[in-house]
Amino acid sequence: MIGVGTRDPGTAERGVVPQRPVSWHALDLRGLDGPAERAAWVALSLVPGMGPAGFAAVLHRFGSAQAALRAGVELVPYIHRAPAAAAEHLRQHAGQDPAGVLRRAEAAMARVGGRVITAVDDAYPGILCHLDPRPPVLYVSGNQAALEGTAVAVVGTRRASGYGRSTAIDIADALARAGMVVVSGLALGIDGEAHRAAIDADGTSVAVLPSPLDRVYPPRHADLARRIVATGGALVSEVPPGVAIGRPDFARRNRLIVGLSSAVVVVEAPDRSGALLTAALAISLGRELYAVPGPIDAVASRGCNRLIADQSASIVTSSGALLQRLGAFAPGRRGTLPALSDVEGLVLGQLLRRSASIEELMGRLGMPAAALASALTFLEARGLATSYGGATFHPTLLARGRGTRGAEQRGP
Amino acid sequence: MLAQVSTATIIGVDAVPVRVEVDVAFGLPGLTIVGLAGGAVLEARERVRSAIRNSGFEVPARRITVNLAPADLPKEGTAYDLAIAVGILAASGQLPRAASLAGMALIGELALDGGLRRVPGVLALVDAARWAGLGEALVAAEAAAEAAVVRGIQVVGAATLGEVIGHLSATARLATATAAPIPEARPADAPDLAAVIGQSVARRALEIAVAGRHHCFLEGPPGTGKTLLLRAARGLLPQLDDDEAGEVSRIYSVAGLLDRRAPVRRERPVREPHHTVSPQALVGGGPRVRPGEASLAHHGLLVLDEVRHFRPDALDALRQPLESGSVSIARVDGAVTLPARFQLLAAANACPCGWRGSERHACTCDEAAARRYATRFSGPLRDRIDLWVRMEEPARVARETDGREPTHAVAARIGAARARQVDRQGCLNADVPPQDLLTDAWLGSAGARTLVREGQRLALSPRRLHRAARVARTIADLERAERVGRGHVMEALFYRPEAGR
Repeated sequence: MIGVGTRDPGTAERGVVPQRPVSWHALDLRGLDGPAERAAWVALSLVPGMGPAGFAAVLHRFGSAQAALRAGVELVPYIHRAPAAAAEHLRQHAGQDPAGVLRRAEAAMARVGGRVITAVDDAYPGILCHLDPRPPVLYVSGNQAALEGTAVAVVGTRRASGYGRSTAIDIADALARAGMVVVSGLALGIDGEAHRAAIDADGTSVAVLPSPLDRVYPPRHADLARRIVATGGALVSEVPPGVAIGRPDFARRNRLIVGLSSAVVVVEAPDRSGALLTAALAISLGRELYAVPGPIDAVASRGCNRLIADQSASIVTSSGALLQRLGAFAPGRRGTLPALSDVEGLVLGQLLRRSASIEELMGRLGMPAAALASALTFLEARGLATSYGGATFHPTLLARGRGTRGAEQRGP
Repeated sequence: MLAQVSTATIIGVDAVPVRVEVDVAFGLPGLTIVGLAGGAVLEARERVRSAIRNSGFEVPARRITVNLAPADLPKEGTAYDLAIAVGILAASGQLPRAASLAGMALIGELALDGGLRRVPGVLALVDAARWAGLGEALVAAEAAAEAAVVRGIQVVGAATLGEVIGHLSATARLATATAAPIPEARPADAPDLAAVIGQSVARRALEIAVAGRHHCFLEGPPGTGKTLLLRAARGLLPQLDDDEAGEVSRIYSVAGLLDRRAPVRRERPVREPHHTVSPQALVGGGPRVRPGEASLAHHGLLVLDEVRHFRPDALDALRQPLESGSVSIARVDGAVTLPARFQLLAAANACPCGWRGSERHACTCDEAAARRYATRFSGPLRDRIDLWVRMEEPARVARETDGREPTHAVAARIGAARARQVDRQGCLNADVPPQDLLTDAWLGSAGARTLVREGQRLALSPRRLHRAARVARTIADLERAERVGRGHVMEALFYRPEAGR
């Protein structure tokens, strides 16, 4: 307790014990690795509203999770987010055996092919040990070794433009081919493209979920989640399985994405995008932050452009330059490319310079819309260009691998 | 004494001949109408009584039975009034030369003072009389010009019941009405295509669509000129030929929408129903089947702006006419088929805020809401669209003029392309049956090969290949190309709705 004179009236009114954040590094975790204590960690992390910071404070005050659980409702003042629900939970579960709780959690994880990892386990990802406070319990399925690789987060808006999607694919593909693990949040838009591109490049991807692993959010990416696991990646969540939660916990997911990665790339983010919260976390957690610039009149890129303008993030000028900054190298792509006609070659060359709609290509090449439409369809059918359902066409990875010169050199 | 008079009744937009049999017999005085007569027909009793009396004749104080044959066909409306009245006069001996009734159809509603009024669908009714082999049709004077359009039958217009009796008894013969020549189409009241800034792809797609009667969907952010393009489209339509004009006029006659001064029209119909339209109003229906917007747009344009704001059940009702060119409406007493060979032109935003798919603006829609919005134009409907255009916001459009063509230049190309189609196969490309589409004879071997190969690469359904084949043929026709080439096919595939999804 601190003195009355310095009491914050806001928190005092709510009847919460004011507390200073407790540094995880100040905790003495020695001797806290017995099976009983491990079970207590899981049981304690299940208290509603108990986040990493509250967990650290409780450990600091009571010395161990077992002691904290014995304290029961005394914990309530340490839980700011949902004190009423926590009190109810603690009353209901007073005197329960933590070993049973752990067994149930492990059984539920086994059903989705995963396991429970606490911060005192050896299997706890090394990179998270730099995180303060760190998530006390993780639920992981898939290949745990994926959490130990050099990881880069690729994140962005759910409402991605074609430019954002194609850039996310380019970057994730380069990272994966350079042997890095691509971490993202499994969301629609940029996240999904990043995961997919990493898998398609025979790389490894880690998805951090805002939901329990047995209820993949968003449901439309359930297949993608399976593919991530099947290709040697992993799914991670702080939310225990089998727990009926109200809303997906995006804040904790974002923090975990940043925590698991050594660098964060924001591909496309408008103002007030969730990806900007991730970027802010990257700054506060001391991760390298990169942002992909967009056209100055593109609302969808405003957040990214501001990160660059504020010098909060380094600018990504190309996927190759990003790899260089990260000290990585990606071997060249291989693939057979189809023969292109003159017009198709010219159009692809233009797209490689900059994505464009037919209207813009007409201005650049002086060709009629009909001829351009034919050429674009040909490129699309051969996987060299795509429109993502919009009017603007973007070159694909296959086309980028070929390079601008290759496309323009081809004669009759 | 028995009298028989010929008339006709409307079913859907067609008419069938009806015989009115009148028997005047001894018995309790009264007037009975049988033969599945509806409410308006039963009320004919009162109109007929008054009209006869006020025309200087009398209703015999006998038992009068009127039968409308075929007696199992439900009958509605007021077109039988004249036939019933004349039948009563003939059966009661008040009409000299009753034999003159043979070979003549009497069609019209009576006013209480004996005046004769027009009824909807005169065109179809007189056509049914001609089909039944009758040589003369007597209609209300105000409907004579409309009815005279039907060839192969003499049409006479009369203003009152008295004039009809005078004509029938040869005391005062009425003149035969002559059909006014079908006027040339008035220039459509449409904005010129040159007014559309940029949007070369949309203008190109619109040209192809009108040239081959293909269904076209414009999708894009607000303010890109979707509505302007829809309105400009009507200026591209060639005028109706004689047969089409007859069919369209018949439908409008039944709907009671014909211009009385110009009963036959050359202008292709353009219908733009509001997005609150009900399924019945869109495809037809109601207790007496009335043609809906889909039929009123027969041989013309059905324009649905902001199509994702229409009721989904109304839109889904368009599936059948989009595929078959007609609407079948099931009734208790059988199905009625209405012609509905329209061309659909639709436009919509891609999502509620309009900016989905844009490279510059961020879409602010909730993902689930955006998906719900997109599926308001359902998958089966999307499958039936031939040309799907994704428009972009003008900010990205090159500012310089791109040789924007005026409407008349594009319309000339369309007219020539349509003529090529009719010369080749007797119909527009949209109406070529599926089994002919992928043949070497129609599409050309290079075109067919390209289409099948690229269709596989793009994972397209057989239905999409068929639609793309028709579009490719139209693109070749616009270029006056004999054979469909690889470029034509590739451009046709560019407009597939599945692109980039």
